[in-house]
Amino acid sequence: MQPSLREDYLEAVQIFSEKNTRFPLTEELAATLLKPVPVVRSEMVELVSSGDVIVSPKGVITLTLQGKQTGTSVMKKHETLQCFLSEILGMDKSSASDEACTLEHAVSDETIDRLGKLMVTREHHNHHGKRKHKKSDDRTCGVETGEFCQSHSISEFSEGDEVIIQCIHGRACAQRLLDLGLVPGECATIKRKLSNGALVVQVKGCDVAVSPEIASAIGVERSP
Amino acid sequence: MKIAFLGNPGVGKSLIFNQLTGLGVEVNRYPGSSVELECGNVCYKQEKTEIVDLPGIYSLDGNSEEETLVRTFLTSGGADVIVAVLDATKLERNLYLFVQAAEFALKMIAVINMNDAAERHGMHIDAGILSSHLGVPVILAAASEGRNIDRILPVALGEATPARVHVPYDHHIEAALKSLEKTIGTPMHTNLLALQGMGNDPVLLDAAGAIAQEIGMRHRMSVSQIIATNRHNFAREITALVITRTANKKPYDLDSLLTRTFPGIPILCTILFLLLLSVFMIGSWMEGIIVAVFTSSIITPFTALALPPLWEQIGFSLLIALQAGLGIAFPFVFTFYVGLSLLEDTGYMTRAAFLADRAMHRIGLHGEAIIPMVIGFGCTVPAVMSLRLLKTRREQTIAAVLVTMIPCSARTVVIAGIVAAFVGIIWAFSIYLIIFVLLILTAVVLSRITPGEQFGMIVEMSTLRRPQAHLVLAKSWLRIKEFLFIAMPVLIVTSILLGLCQYLGLTELFEQIVAPVTVTLLGLPVYASTALLFGVFRKELAFETLAVLAGTANLGSVMTSVQLYTFAIVSVLFVPCVSTIAVLYRQLGARIAIITSIYTVFLGLFIGAIINILMK
Repeated sequence: MQPSLREDYLEAVQIFSEKNTRFPLTEELAATLLKPVPVVRSEMVELVSSGDVIVSPKGVITLTLQGKQTGTSVMKKHETLQCFLSEILGMDKSSASDEACTLEHAVSDETIDRLGKLMVTREHHNHHGKRKHKKSDDRTCGVETGEFCQSHSISEFSEGDEVIIQCIHGRACAQRLLDLGLVPGECATIKRKLSNGALVVQVKGCDVAVSPEIASAIGVERSP
Repeated sequence: MKIAFLGNPGVGKSLIFNQLTGLGVEVNRYPGSSVELECGNVCYKQEKTEIVDLPGIYSLDGNSEEETLVRTFLTSGGADVIVAVLDATKLERNLYLFVQAAEFALKMIAVINMNDAAERHGMHIDAGILSSHLGVPVILAAASEGRNIDRILPVALGEATPARVHVPYDHHIEAALKSLEKTIGTPMHTNLLALQGMGNDPVLLDAAGAIAQEIGMRHRMSVSQIIATNRHNFAREITALVITRTANKKPYDLDSLLTRTFPGIPILCTILFLLLLSVFMIGSWMEGIIVAVFTSSIITPFTALALPPLWEQIGFSLLIALQAGLGIAFPFVFTFYVGLSLLEDTGYMTRAAFLADRAMHRIGLHGEAIIPMVIGFGCTVPAVMSLRLLKTRREQTIAAVLVTMIPCSARTVVIAGIVAAFVGIIWAFSIYLIIFVLLILTAVVLSRITPGEQFGMIVEMSTLRRPQAHLVLAKSWLRIKEFLFIAMPVLIVTSILLGLCQYLGLTELFEQIVAPVTVTLLGLPVYASTALLFGVFRKELAFETLAVLAGTANLGSVMTSVQLYTFAIVSVLFVPCVSTIAVLYRQLGARIAIITSIYTVFLGLFIGAIINILMK
């Protein structure tokens, strides 16, 4: 059996099972693929022998773990390609779908991954303006990216708290803090907090003293 | 061969340097306490090797004065071998600088210092594994015990190799670096800097800027943050592989006392008070001895020579200047430096800065400004020199004016010698009170009107350590040399000029010209103006000259209490001494030097006039 044919079958079974929350009968599968039932039945035998599906005596086609993996992966590839062809390259939906049906068998995982990321970024980019208006009170996280980060300032926590650094706001003080190890994802302990908000933060085994205004620029989350 | 020591502040670089070269070199405990490079020569196997101690820095990517200096030094091929000194107790954070330095592809070795302290904390570092990961020879050392220091030179000269570490940057950054290298042809560390918006190649910056924005957008994080995070994570991975920890009893943490508002602030005040008190006590005792010995052994024989009047005047002025320099420098300034170096070497100064941050904020400064302020009580000249610790021009300007107003040890002599002795001890304290009120008022006004933005404090707390006597003395000695180098020539030139003026009768002319101010405005005797003029040269000369001109040491018999009080306060406030003006000019430029001088003259005359009017 052609690899592309096998992938088409597995994809079709996966789509059917997601849509109807049950696995298809041989007849139902034949109907969705517009193929004669005897052809499907004989080709199912081959898929059973390759360990992709199990056909019950009643004719229900169930995917094995291996079959499900292939089916899901091909389905995702199809979706990504179709989305890319129609939304970014501007092709019409049905020809994008046909094209995706052919490409999905040849495309590498990395290309799909990158296409996916590309589209996520663009989507994010397009929605960016809207978010800005909605949440104008959010702090900016890194001036040059203009990004938003909804973390709390470390000033809101008290002595002895353990936090995880999320982001450093502003530009002027950021570099020194980064150099001292206050980078996103790093765990920090507030060792001392004076009443004016000046802090001693322990990070990477070193104590760093910061003024209140610097502290307010450090975005953190409580450590779980 | 040229070897350069690179490392974070306070890793003991200077101590190792000191032990290798045998020169008195200061230990950088306070972030950025030396901008100038310290150089020394050693002979190893009949070959001269030059060693350079680079200022302590946290990163090679910053644009502070020190970071730029070190970066330029490395890229311009300033050294053949880099000795990276790392603190064993803070290995992970220190490796961050190491992996940056490795990108410069210079021959390196790594010295893991403070191993004794790490062992006390139950940390054991495997030098072999570390060396295999870094690709350079690793020496485990403990400079305070002298352990393995003798191995540094042979290894640095014989086995140094370019490091084999490569930080696994985010794949977008890697791609950007590759494409920049291909299209523009610049080396990796230049491209990394360019991605963070630094460098001076407009083409590269343009290209890198566009990529950086794209990457920033994609990661929702600035490129600097991504790069720093990658480096830190890499350092963490290496650290995890080389350190084994055994549970150790945690030593008592003194910081639970020192950094709390209570008892931290009372402790801070007590320490500062004791410092000033002991400097004053030891200083005046030593000054008495030095002046007496100098007078009896040099000045008296000189006057006995009976030279022609002109030469006698010049020679006398020269000797007086020397006496003044020695009489201030060693008793007061040196004692003060010893105390200050002690505070720095124990690591207490960073705690003081943290606690003082709040008070300093009120006057437009931040915690680190406490250092120049404290030094100012000893002597204004080194206080002004230490202003480079402050990061912005705005803070330097505010602090410069304040520091020149703080009563230094010489001014304390005037207050003690005139007011405490002839008017009363309470009145002496009232002068301090007036000065502090004026200081705060000046500071509040200055923080409003000085342009520029405020930058907060980010200071790494130095580890508390027991100071070592020879290091404290070496550091103080280095500082006093710097002080003498600046102050002595100014003292001598001014002294001779004043002597010539006196010889030519210009001082009488001066007295006549300013008589309206002295007599009418301040209510002082005519000759007081000359004494004030001498005070510009050296503050406590105002007191001594006054005694000479009045013709008696018992000033209370020739001047009223109000006159003495007015004279003291004017001479204390009035113009910083010439050495201060010189160092202000050198450090901050002519404008600040002139503004500060004019401001203090007017302030002194104004307050003097008010006191004269109110109390007469």
